[in-house]
Amino acid sequence: MGVRKLLLGIDVGSVSTNLVVTDAAGELIERLYLPTAGRPLEALLLGFSQLAKRFDDAEIGACGVTGSGRQLAAAVVGADIVKTEITAHAAAAIHVGPGVRTILEIGGQDSKIIRIEDGYVTDFAMNTVCAAGTGSFLDRQAQRLNMSISEFGACALRSTAPVRIAGRCAVFAESDMISKQQAGHAIEDIVAGLCEALVRNYLNNLAGHRMPEPPVLFQGGVAANAGIVAAFEKALGVPVIVPPHHDVRGAYGAALMAREVCGPTRFSGFGCVTSGLFAKGFECDGCSNGCEVVALMRDGEPAAYWGDRCGKWGVKLAGTAADARRQTTSA
Amino acid sequence: MVIGIPNGLIFRIYGDFARAFFAELGIRTVFSPETDRTILDAGVRSCESEACLPVKLFCGHVAWLRGRCDAILVPRLMRLTKRQSICPMFCGLPELARGAAAGTRLIDAPVYAPECGGLDAWAKQAASAVGAGKRWDAALKAAMAAHENRKAGFCDSGYEHTVALIGHAYNIYDRFVNMDLIRKLHALGIGVITHERVADADIARHMAALSKPPFWYFAQRYYGAALHLLVSAKVDGIIYVSAFGCGVDAVVEALIRDAAGGAAMMTLKLDEHTGAAGFDTRLEAFADMLGRRKANGDHHSPAGEYAYGYAGAV
Repeated sequence: MGVRKLLLGIDVGSVSTNLVVTDAAGELIERLYLPTAGRPLEALLLGFSQLAKRFDDAEIGACGVTGSGRQLAAAVVGADIVKTEITAHAAAAIHVGPGVRTILEIGGQDSKIIRIEDGYVTDFAMNTVCAAGTGSFLDRQAQRLNMSISEFGACALRSTAPVRIAGRCAVFAESDMISKQQAGHAIEDIVAGLCEALVRNYLNNLAGHRMPEPPVLFQGGVAANAGIVAAFEKALGVPVIVPPHHDVRGAYGAALMAREVCGPTRFSGFGCVTSGLFAKGFECDGCSNGCEVVALMRDGEPAAYWGDRCGKWGVKLAGTAADARRQTTSA
Repeated sequence: MVIGIPNGLIFRIYGDFARAFFAELGIRTVFSPETDRTILDAGVRSCESEACLPVKLFCGHVAWLRGRCDAILVPRLMRLTKRQSICPMFCGLPELARGAAAGTRLIDAPVYAPECGGLDAWAKQAASAVGAGKRWDAALKAAMAAHENRKAGFCDSGYEHTVALIGHAYNIYDRFVNMDLIRKLHALGIGVITHERVADADIARHMAALSKPPFWYFAQRYYGAALHLLVSAKVDGIIYVSAFGCGVDAVVEALIRDAAGGAAMMTLKLDEHTGAAGFDTRLEAFADMLGRRKANGDHHSPAGEYAYGYAGAV
C-alpha cells in the first residue's frame, strides 16, 4: 500500500497560528487553532509536536504557508508555496462554493474584503493603519464592558433597540459607549450597537460605494461572533454564510494551493521546528535606512534573513527564504 | 555661495530645472540625499503635525540642508497653468518649512506661471536673491532646457504584467516612503508605465468624458493617463499610490476607479505608520490577482466590455 499524500496548510497570523491537514482531495482531516501570542515559532513548535503524533513526515505531499508570518514560517518549515492571506482565503472560499462573490474576512489585526467572479479574485481591499474594523476593536470594547468575547455575540442578539455608537475610531467609540452607559441604555443594546459600528466602519473603509454582492462568505476569527454576523446581514440585506472551520480558512486555502505545485515537497518534516530555533531582530548599520532585519537562527547559525531593503543579508545565504520567495512569484 | 535643494515634493520633478538655473548663474547647489529614516524623523519633528507625510518629508529634507548651504530653495508655488489650481500646501510651503530651516535663509519667491510667462518674475527674484539678478534670463533658459531634456517616468516592457503606476512623483519615486515599490513590483514580474510617458493629446481626450475636468494640473494628468493606458490596453491594471490625508489623491483615485469599470485596480496609501508587511501582502495579492484574471481570460480587461462601454459614452 502506498503512502497517502496529505496536504499541510499553515497560517501564521498576528493573533492565531493555524494548521490544517487535508487529504489529496482537500477533505479536512485535522485542524489546530493556536494562539500566536507574539511567539510564532513557539506556536509552530507546539502545533508540529501535536501533528507529529498523528502524521508521518512522509505522508505530507505538499505544504503551503500563508499569514503575516509567512516568511518566517516558510523559512522554517520548507514550504512548497507561499501566498498572501488574500489569495489563501479566496482559494478556500472558491473550493467551498465556486459561485461565491464576496468574502468578508476579519481577523485580529486586519480586515479584508475580497470580490470574486467566476472563481477568481477580481478585487480586494485591506484595512490600512486603522484597526477600528477588526477583532482587536471588539476585544478592547468587550474588556471595557467586563465581558468575555465569547458572550459578546449572544448578548448582542438579545438587543431590541441597538444604540448608535461612533465606530470611526476605537477611541471615540469608547467615549461614546461610556456616555450611552451613563444615560442608562441596556448592555445588550450597547453591545449590538458596537457590532453595528464595527460593520459600518468595515463597509465604509473597505467596501466603499460598491456593496458586496451575494453569495457573501464570512471568514476569519470574528465570524464566530453572532452579533457581527447579524449586523452584517442587517447592513447588507442578504444572508451572510459562515463556512465550517471559518477560523482556519487561511490555512485551509494554503493547503489547497499547495496541491497545485508539482514535484517533490520541500517540507522539512515536523521535527524541523526545534527549541534550537529562534528569530532575532537587529538594526542594520550598512546605510542610513537602518532596516530592521530579522535573522532566523538554527542552533546558533543564521538560517535566513529578511526585512532588509537592499537584500544584502538575504543574498549572504542562498537558501530557504529566497527559494520560497521565488516560488511565490513564479507560481 | 551654495544653494540647498530639498529632494522632495516639486523637486522630484523640477530638480534638474533648479540645478541648471543656479549652475548658469555660477552658483553651486547641494541636493539632500534620498529620503531615509533620519530625514523622516527630522521632518516629523520640525513640521506642523497636521501636514501630510510628503510635506513632512520635505521639511526633513530642508532640515538636512541646514548647515550645509547658505540658502534653501523653497518656492511658493501658486499656479502652474491658467484656470488650474494647486494644493494649498504648496502655496504655504515657505511657512511650513520655516521651522525645519531654523534660521537658514529661504529663497521663497512665488511662482505664478500662467503659460510660463510668470516664470520670468520668479527667475528675476530668485537670481537677485543670490546676487546675480542681471543674468536671470539666461539662467531661466538653461533651466527650461534642462527640464525639457530630463528623463522622466517609466515605460517598462518585457514583464509578465504591466500596470499604470499613478500618483504624485514624490510618492512613486521616493523609494523610502513607498518601501521600494517599483523594485518590488519588478521582482513580482510587474512592469510599470507612468503618466510622463503619456502624450498630452491622449490625456486631453479623456477630459471630454468628465462633467468638468479636475482643476488641479496633476489630477488631469493622472486621470487621463490612467484611462488612456487602460483603454488602449497597454496595461493590465492600475496601482494608485496616495498619501494619507491628500485631498487631491482622494478625488482622483475615486474618479479613476469609477471610470475603470471592473479593471484590476489597487490603491496603496502611504503614511508614516505604514508597515512593510501589510504593504507587501497587498503587492503579492495584486500580482496573484493579475495572474489569475489573465489565466481566466479576464473579461474585465480593457480590451473587453469596458472599453466598448466607454467608447459608447464618449
